[in-house]
Amino acid sequence: MPRNEKKDPKQESLERDIEAAVAEETGGLEPSEAEKIREKVRARVLEEVERERRIRTAAERRAEERRRREERRRERHPEEGEMFERFNRNFRFQHIVMFTSVILLVITGMPIKFPDFVLSHYLVALWGGIHNSTIVHRIGAGMLIYFMVHHLFYTVLSRRGRRDFVLLIPTPKDARDLMQNIRHLLGKTPEKPRFGRFSYLEKFDYWAVYWGCVIMIGSGLFLWFEMIVLKYFPKYVLDVAHEMHSDEAMLATLAIVIWHFYNVHFNPDRFPGTLMWWHGQISEHEIKDEHPLEYEEIMARRAKQTAEVPHP
Amino acid sequence: MRGKFFAAGIFIAFGVAAQGFWSSADARISLEKCTLCHGKPEFRKILVDGKIRDLFATGDSLKGSVHEKKTCVDCHFDVSEIPHRQRPKRVVCTHCHYKGNAEGAPQSDSYLEYFGSVHGTAIAKGNTKAPLCQDCHGDHSIRKAKDEVSAVSPRNVAETCGRCHIEIYAQYKTSIHGVALSKGIMDAPSCTGCHGEHKIYGHLDPKSSVYATHVAEQCSTCHASVTIMSKFGIETEQVATYKNSFHGVASGFGSRTVANCASCHGIHDIRPPEDPLSMVNPKNVPATCGKCHPGANPNFAVGKMHVDAHKKESGIIYYTAQFFKYLTIGTMLALIAHIFLDMYGRTRRLRGEQ
Repeated sequence: MPRNEKKDPKQESLERDIEAAVAEETGGLEPSEAEKIREKVRARVLEEVERERRIRTAAERRAEERRRREERRRERHPEEGEMFERFNRNFRFQHIVMFTSVILLVITGMPIKFPDFVLSHYLVALWGGIHNSTIVHRIGAGMLIYFMVHHLFYTVLSRRGRRDFVLLIPTPKDARDLMQNIRHLLGKTPEKPRFGRFSYLEKFDYWAVYWGCVIMIGSGLFLWFEMIVLKYFPKYVLDVAHEMHSDEAMLATLAIVIWHFYNVHFNPDRFPGTLMWWHGQISEHEIKDEHPLEYEEIMARRAKQTAEVPHP
Repeated sequence: MRGKFFAAGIFIAFGVAAQGFWSSADARISLEKCTLCHGKPEFRKILVDGKIRDLFATGDSLKGSVHEKKTCVDCHFDVSEIPHRQRPKRVVCTHCHYKGNAEGAPQSDSYLEYFGSVHGTAIAKGNTKAPLCQDCHGDHSIRKAKDEVSAVSPRNVAETCGRCHIEIYAQYKTSIHGVALSKGIMDAPSCTGCHGEHKIYGHLDPKSSVYATHVAEQCSTCHASVTIMSKFGIETEQVATYKNSFHGVASGFGSRTVANCASCHGIHDIRPPEDPLSMVNPKNVPATCGKCHPGANPNFAVGKMHVDAHKKESGIIYYTAQFFKYLTIGTMLALIAHIFLDMYGRTRRLRGEQ
């Protein structure tokens, strides 16, 4: 290493460690042989150290960028306060896969339900005819099935997934929250219901997707593999599957476009939309307003952690 | 006796002379001259292929036809000397039947459609077997289509087409439409009912009324009409149920591979489902569906084919549809109510009310 004439103490101790380790192993060998091995080991170790340093600095650079962005955000929107992670990367990925597949499924499926609607012909022509459109529909179906499997594994295998699943189970508090929210919105009571990590609205959305996926994937697979189905079932089973697929598609689309979009994007607090599905962050302001119980929990956990860590 | 003949001879001579004097002389004379040969019943020609060409034609040949008042040379205008040195050309109807003609011969744009049709283009390409006007409408015995004995009357037109399309005619004759027409049910379609009259195109031509994506529309001109179908106790819902099925929707979007009416019910050999020869007889359904869905089994025939989820007869399908109908209405009403409530509450808060 000609470039470090005056070796820093870290480097020197590293050199010494290599020397010692190599000397121990090559005790019985010729000195020239031992020298060769030592050189090899030294080059290898230094290369490894350099690589680690590079990775660390890249990670640090990203972290620095994030810090700077965060500072800029705080300057621009001081009212938002601290940002908390609401959806982790895995969860966001699942959501993106799901909505991409649902968009594909809706724009290729709805023209079949409403062939006389003016847009239907354009939507079919977009893919170059009904045959291609049905292929795109199956691609979307494949993505939705993948999402379902991914989510099941996520629920079972990941700690966050397991915790969220438990928090998503409906409880009597949700019914009380609903009643209180109605009374609050009507102006009968000044107190807003205090939601935890998931409010009853979000729980409804989650379980609606569960129900929708089961019905749509189940009936969709029947229609996809109609020849296998007809081997074992009479034709009217397929007709029932067709009816379910068509009707549940309508319900799901309406629920997404009207209910879900209003609650997450179009309500007056969020209009014209939120990017939470992309960055997964929720501001202190929002979390205090919408999930006060979760915020308190986070704060309590922090207080406990700082209490546990002994001050130096 | 001789005196009588003489008197008759003078009378005829005067008559002829008078007619010649008062009316178009050459026309009369022409008919007289033509019938010198063509008036003999045995006047015929043996063609090179052994066929006999009957050349018998008298003044009575045109009787009852729309051209009753015409004479030979009005159509055979290329005949100028007797006996003809060359064989007279085929009659060209457009000699008179063009728009604005002086003869007063009927003419409409629909006749022009013939020239673009499969028959007209075949003629233009030099196919001598393709039909000209007179091949369908008759040569000397042309009558209006309304006339029962006309070759192109609804009852006779199938036979006329069948002179060339003989196999199809045999299929059609025993089909439900052919049988009905022969019983005198004039609502039943003949060839022209589906294929059109002058604008007949090949079924692979997108202009054709029986092109794959036009078949359903063509059948529904009658089968969607309650006034026609109620006479025979046939339901009209088949049209709507087909249009709502995947086959119908895909066909509407221009797919030529999905089933249309004819794919399952047959083309010229349509028979009622009770008929064991019918393609849609439950026994034959697996084979019929199997044309597109290889390996179709009797399960294909279990359950109604043209199923309407809005009718109670559909059983479980009806109840599924009903369940989802009320589920959707109920859920969406609740959700929309919540949305409006939310907007109301937020508006109050924005106004500063608590």
